[in-house]
Amino acid sequence: MKKMNIRTLTSVGLLSTLAYLLMLLNFPIPPFPSFLMIDFSDIPALIAAIIFGPLAGIMVELVKNVLDFFMTGSPTGVPVGHLANFVAGITFILPVYYVYKKFESKKGLTVALAAGAVFMAVMMSVLNYYVILPAYTLFLNAPAMSAPETKEMVVSAILPFNMIKGIVMAVVFLLIYSRIYVWMRKQAAVS
Amino acid sequence: MMEKMIFGRYLPLQSVVHRLDPRAKLLFIFGFVIVVFLANNALSYGLLAVFTLVFIYLSKINVRFLLAGLKPVIWLIAFTFLLHIFLTREGDLLFEAGFLKVYEGGVRQGAFISLRFLLLIFVTSLLTLTTSPISITDGLESLLKPFKKLKLPVHELALMMSISLRFIPTLMDETDKIMKAQMARGADFSSGPIKERVKAVVPLLIPLFVSAFKRAEELAVAMEARGYKGGEGRTKYRLLHWQGRDTAALIILVVLAALLWWTRS
Repeated sequence: MKKMNIRTLTSVGLLSTLAYLLMLLNFPIPPFPSFLMIDFSDIPALIAAIIFGPLAGIMVELVKNVLDFFMTGSPTGVPVGHLANFVAGITFILPVYYVYKKFESKKGLTVALAAGAVFMAVMMSVLNYYVILPAYTLFLNAPAMSAPETKEMVVSAILPFNMIKGIVMAVVFLLIYSRIYVWMRKQAAVS
Repeated sequence: MMEKMIFGRYLPLQSVVHRLDPRAKLLFIFGFVIVVFLANNALSYGLLAVFTLVFIYLSKINVRFLLAGLKPVIWLIAFTFLLHIFLTREGDLLFEAGFLKVYEGGVRQGAFISLRFLLLIFVTSLLTLTTSPISITDGLESLLKPFKKLKLPVHELALMMSISLRFIPTLMDETDKIMKAQMARGADFSSGPIKERVKAVVPLLIPLFVSAFKRAEELAVAMEARGYKGGEGRTKYRLLHWQGRDTAALIILVVLAALLWWTRS
């Protein structure tokens, strides 16, 4: 693992703060259950990954979730939601980073973001089915769901929700990226 | 609001629980989350409840604060309790009204599971209520030290967390300022369909990113000028001292686990 330099360290710190603050501005999308919330906290993580490499992106996701757990606690006591958010963030930024590295163009970025959104939606559906929803039923003691019920939940809520979340992230990131592209290049060159 | 952002939910009081080493508290919580699942009958749940209440008493935290943390989930608890009451069909029939049948086993199940949930929330809340975020960070860094052998960047992670914590109020202020500036121009952040929200958030994010990077740059220069060279041989301003009471807390947890093991059916 490459050692991080001071600039990367401080930048990741600041971007995590930003991610944490954006996480506080979360909102549910009406047709989905209220524990599925959209926020823009994956954007700073994505920017960290593209400028400073994938490890920096993972760090932003990690610090953001740890901070949120310390500052606000978790309604389940055990941070299942934070873990889910962490995994969702990583499954989104890593594919975007690796696909984008292959092309390094605006079109490439669009493809990369689409890949990230799809990968996140699929991975989160699988993980929800096998790990996250059972964990919720264990800690939050909702009555245990049967396999068909869980499947129905995943297909009707988790999959479309993560798809929409991925698309919203992608659109916001494209809008931001087209504006600060040149400036970001410069940052990447300096670090 | 500002105060709240700096300290999270931390309530600075003088109590035994406050003075415990953050490492001891973290280990304790970790153990407690596992131990809670040992309880499975009235006696063991009673034991757990008494134990938790004693800790809350020792922490001198006003129960009001703990209850406030329950607000977002109180309906969920009530809902699952009712579900258990009406859907579990075990034990004697207690009550019957038309198609509603309440069984003894259902009431017991519902009560136990709600209680377990409450205790978990109370104990994890005690951690954040009695420990400042910065000392939790110190404790985490110290506890994760063994992972350095696996080349995990433990020191860097702790440093980033402290930096991040330090800048929450600063960036919060800035977010607020930019939001107000945009709102004065007619932007709406708190309502509307997704499309509107996306449109509103872009002019908020760009200045925030630029400012975050500027601050990071300044901080990096300042740290470099003061000779920061990574975690090796770095001394600390806040030192953690492991004391008798920390060992005692962990021993109490082990005793609790043993008692639960003994009383569970």
